[in-house]
Amino acid sequence: MSDAPETLNQISHRVTQAQLAKYADASGDHNPLHLDEAFANATPYGRTIAHGMLVLAFVSESMTKTFGRAWLCEGKLKARFRAPVFPGDTVTTLGALKSTGGATATYAMTVRNQDDVDVLTADATVPA
Amino acid sequence: MDLAILETGQTLLRAPLTISPQEIDAYLDAVDDDAEVYRAEHLAPPMAVAALIMASAMRAVALPAGAVHTSQELDFAAPVALGPDGATLDCLASVAQNSERRGTRFLVLEIAADIQGRRAVTGRISLAVAESEE
Repeated sequence: MSDAPETLNQISHRVTQAQLAKYADASGDHNPLHLDEAFANATPYGRTIAHGMLVLAFVSESMTKTFGRAWLCEGKLKARFRAPVFPGDTVTTLGALKSTGGATATYAMTVRNQDDVDVLTADATVPA
Repeated sequence: MDLAILETGQTLLRAPLTISPQEIDAYLDAVDDDAEVYRAEHLAPPMAVAALIMASAMRAVALPAGAVHTSQELDFAAPVALGPDGATLDCLASVAQNSERRGTRFLVLEIAADIQGRRAVTGRISLAVAESEE
C-alpha cells in the first residue's frame, strides 16, 4: 500500500475527572471505579481511573483523522489495556505502519502517558 | 447476578438501540474528538455504538463495580448514518467465554450491531472481575 503513511500524527489529550463524568453519561458506563473517589480509593488503583473505551476512542480518533470514512466503514481494532489512566494524566496516541498485505494496512498504535508508560497498545487495520 | 452461572453462548442482550444526534454530539464532546467526518457526513462513531452496547451488556449481567476491561477487539463493517432522529440499531450481546483463575473471573463478551439488516459493528470484550466483587 504505497499511500499508507509510515507514521500517524500524534494526538494528545489531558484526561480529567470532569471528562470521565461526561464519558459516563455519554456511554452509559457509570462504574464507580471511574467516578467515585471513595470507592476507587479502596481498590488497588487507589483512585479513579479512565474508562478503557475512552482511551481506546483516542486510537479511533487518530485513525479517523487519517483515514476518514475508510476507517469508520472497514476498520479493525485489537487492543490491550496495559496500565490505568488517571485523571490529570496526559496521554499521547502514536501510530506506526506495521505491515501491509492484501488490501489492508496495519498500524501499531500506542497510547502513552506523560511518564512514557504505554497504557494501551493496539493493532489497527484499515483498507488499503 | 452470580457470574459463575453465565454460560458460553448465552444471550445477554437482544434489543434495539436508538441513538440521537444529540447523544452523538455528547459522545464526541466527552471523548474530545473533533474529526470533521462525523458532522460533515452525519455519521455516528462506531466506538460510540460499541460503548453503548457494552454498557447495556454490562448492566444486563449486573457486572460488579470494579470490573476491569482488559482487552477489546472491534470490527467496523458499515457506516452508521444519522438521520434527523438519529439511527436505530439492532444490538446483540452474548457470552463468549467464562472462566475463573486464581480468584479472578474472566469474561469475554461478544457484541454486534446491525443497521437496516446490515452488520455495522462487531466486537469482543475481555473483562476481569476479582472474585470477592462478584
